[in-house]
Amino acid sequence: MISKGRKVVVTGFGGVFPTCKSSEEFAQKLFNNQSLIRRWDKAMSYGKQIRSVMSAYIDPLENDIEPIYNPYTEDYPEIFVDHLNRIPPNNLATADLGSIWAMLATQDAIKMAGWTHKETTSEQTGVVMSSASGGNEVTRTTCHQFYVHGKKTRSVGVHTVERAMVYREAANVSCLIKNKGVVEAVASACATGLGNIGYAYRLIKFGLQDRVVTGGIEGTALETFIGFDGMQILSRGFEPHESSRPFAKDRNGFVCSFGAGIVCLEEYEIAKSRGANIIAVIDEYFNNSDGDGDMFAPSFDGQIRLWNGLMKDINFKPDVVKVHGTSTFTGDPIELFSVTEFLGNSGYHISAPKSQFGHMLGAAGAVEFITALLMLQNQKVLPCLNSEELNDELEGFQLKDNWNGPKNPVAYYRDLLPLKTFEKEINHIVCLNYGFGGTNSAMMISKDI
Amino acid sequence: MERQEIIDGLVEIMRTMRTVDPSRLENVTEETDFLKDMNVPSAELINIATKVEIKFNIELEDDDIDEMGSTVKDIVDLILKVKARG
Repeated sequence: MISKGRKVVVTGFGGVFPTCKSSEEFAQKLFNNQSLIRRWDKAMSYGKQIRSVMSAYIDPLENDIEPIYNPYTEDYPEIFVDHLNRIPPNNLATADLGSIWAMLATQDAIKMAGWTHKETTSEQTGVVMSSASGGNEVTRTTCHQFYVHGKKTRSVGVHTVERAMVYREAANVSCLIKNKGVVEAVASACATGLGNIGYAYRLIKFGLQDRVVTGGIEGTALETFIGFDGMQILSRGFEPHESSRPFAKDRNGFVCSFGAGIVCLEEYEIAKSRGANIIAVIDEYFNNSDGDGDMFAPSFDGQIRLWNGLMKDINFKPDVVKVHGTSTFTGDPIELFSVTEFLGNSGYHISAPKSQFGHMLGAAGAVEFITALLMLQNQKVLPCLNSEELNDELEGFQLKDNWNGPKNPVAYYRDLLPLKTFEKEINHIVCLNYGFGGTNSAMMISKDI
Repeated sequence: MERQEIIDGLVEIMRTMRTVDPSRLENVTEETDFLKDMNVPSAELINIATKVEIKFNIELEDDDIDEMGSTVKDIVDLILKVKARG
């Protein structure tokens, strides 16, 4: 069911990006075909305990944020100091690293959107954002004090709950900007970023809010990284800039990364009437579930249903499909085949931003949504880096009797997968993200014409 | 332990707390109220108590914390009471 409703636009964005001081530097590096992935010294310090050490991580000091460690509580950042005085101390006291990034990115996004204090603090302004899990670093160090060292519960201070709760970023941002509308978090694993933006879009479309600051975050935490490392699904054996390689024949896993992406959404007529710069129009958002009972495997049928739902009332095709493209063995070809099954074999291009900065988990869908905004603004397609060699044989699942998708190998679609950034007219982009549990999300955005 | 020595120790603790405006620590007396005069968020009183335990090498019981007041005098009295308790 898709309901007609109000028109929703994007008027601002901001983020915290690996190896970048600003959104401008982020855009410049991406369009220059650079990788933001590095060897992570913290992961390397654990030697053979860890299988993969590649990450587009962010050291807090790179963003002028300094963790002050509690001298009597091992590894526990008692508070963070903002050396650029962007966040007041009382807000820093209740925030974990990801929440600080959410606040910084929100400040940038609202500044770009040009919302006034009255607009920002309105009952018609919402905050909808999340990361994919709890504050794992805070939880780990807190529990360690209690269970291993036998310390009193208050030994780590009183800020463990709000710094580790699921909707900590939304709560911290709301306390910072003092909006009076909705404050919530949507969690859907690796689709979290786009899921929050999709939910925010619906709040405006259905008339419940006039504007929402929304997105996804994943604060740097080895505690988060090691879960995926233990699953043996992280990329291994390549140089940092080559380690995320969606669609490449020899890909062997994703690169676990961190960051934050926040956008300002707004009702179209309100944005127009105040003379806002409209970065993109959101044409539609659709999400569904695979419904096959499989926690991990992507579903061709689920993704085809996703496309059908997204495009039900849309009579134009995208110029670019910004894929989830994780660089995992099964995920990439299933996604490629569902895209080509629905859109055909030509007339559009596929962009895989994870090839440049890996998989930011809860931030992925939001940061990649920002890459789609950048593609619209710059009229350039971001590449599928490292995809030089494609499989020219059929995938194993394509040989099975129950396979009802394309019968071409991945290499057949070479022309859809650019190796470098290139210029072309871009009016419409589809963004795709999926997550564990079979959750699928899709959004179509367009230039405001 | 002299009362002024304890007050000086409390001020040192407060200086490590980023949520406290350092200018409010210039003229601290026994009548100074952490909540009203220093604008300390109420939740931070528990953090002060934890730091007091470490700095003054004492162990506060749960009842001590539950009954703890918010002035410097309340905290000084508590520390001396607990030290006397041994």
